[in-house]
Amino acid sequence: MNLPIPLVMASEGGFGLNFNIFESNIINLAIVIACLWKFLPSFLGGILERRRALILSDLKDAEDRLAKATASLATAQQDLGQAQKKADQIRAEGKERAQSIRLEIEKRTIEDMARIKQSSSNDLESEAARVTTLLRRQAAQLAIDKALASLPGKLDDQAQARFIEQAIQSMGNA
Amino acid sequence: MVALPLVLPFAELEVGQHLYWQLGNFKIHGQVFLSSWVVIGALLALVVAGTRKLSRDPQGTQNLLEFLWDYIRDLTREQIGEKAYRDWLPFIGTLFLFIFVSNWGGALVPWKLIHLPSGELGAPTADINTTIALALLVSLAYFYAGLSRKGFRYFEYYVEPTPIMLPFKIVEDFTKPLSLSFRLFGNILADELVVAVLAFLVPLVVPLPAMFLGLFTSAIQALIFATLAAYYIGEAVHEEQH
Repeated sequence: MNLPIPLVMASEGGFGLNFNIFESNIINLAIVIACLWKFLPSFLGGILERRRALILSDLKDAEDRLAKATASLATAQQDLGQAQKKADQIRAEGKERAQSIRLEIEKRTIEDMARIKQSSSNDLESEAARVTTLLRRQAAQLAIDKALASLPGKLDDQAQARFIEQAIQSMGNA
Repeated sequence: MVALPLVLPFAELEVGQHLYWQLGNFKIHGQVFLSSWVVIGALLALVVAGTRKLSRDPQGTQNLLEFLWDYIRDLTREQIGEKAYRDWLPFIGTLFLFIFVSNWGGALVPWKLIHLPSGELGAPTADINTTIALALLVSLAYFYAGLSRKGFRYFEYYVEPTPIMLPFKIVEDFTKPLSLSFRLFGNILADELVVAVLAFLVPLVVPLPAMFLGLFTSAIQALIFATLAAYYIGEAVHEEQH
């Protein structure tokens, strides 16, 4: 569709600029671009500004959460340190008490053992004394029995009289 | 064409005229390359400028880029799914940004101030070659996505839910790039032509509604292209729940 209209400037070949106002449609383009220039920034700018505000608030939220988390981490670590200190203290106390209890028990055991030994030796002594007494009594009994057995043959009037004399004399001496 | 009775040198309409460059055996459309380079340069400049000084407080260009990234990520995740969208986010994002900036650049930059020996500058997406290239890239992308994720089990997709679907699914592989490319090309070229014809008939004010409508459709077309590309990839990587 090459219209047979005599062209003013564009007729020559080769590259160049064409400043024909109507041919280049420049006025309409200027109006369109001016309209866009006027309305697009406010429309697009609103969207972009909202987007930016949203991102910034998100970032701020995240930063706040980070700060809060850091603070609570610090508190938790402090608590942990205190708890560990307390645990160490409790452990030390426990050890100390265990040591003292062991010592006491040892001491008491030793005492008990000594006492048991003592009482057993006491028992032994008393038993020995009892057996000794018993044996002594039996021996005396035996001697008396023997004496009584041999007495009828040995004892006559003379001997009896002499014996009584002696006894009276010893009583008199007493 | 009938010559107007009044000789009014208002405007010139050129369709089907191109600035041909010879590259080997190919004749390529130079004006498309020129405007593509401008678009690519503008995008690169924006991204470099926006990511040069990154801060925690997103300001200015960084905020805009992050907003765009959020938008593209949401789009991609919605279409491809949580599992695979990360692999395809750059591709879909590139498609969306390139098409969007091409369309808007074609509608907003006063290209006609620059006179070419032949043809005229405009949106790169108003040329069928650009859109077909983009659509074929999408085809390659979804084939690659399906094959790399599922291996040859990808072809089960052609007989699901029933084998009757096989011919339709095969035809679909051809119609997908066709519809993608023609939709974009048609919309952008139509918009440019409407504006050009209106400007040719009534140079002032009357083309304005068409220009604003063109901005709207341009944005919508970029969104549609990116969404469909993501949808095709999502379809290819989708795992059937057995």
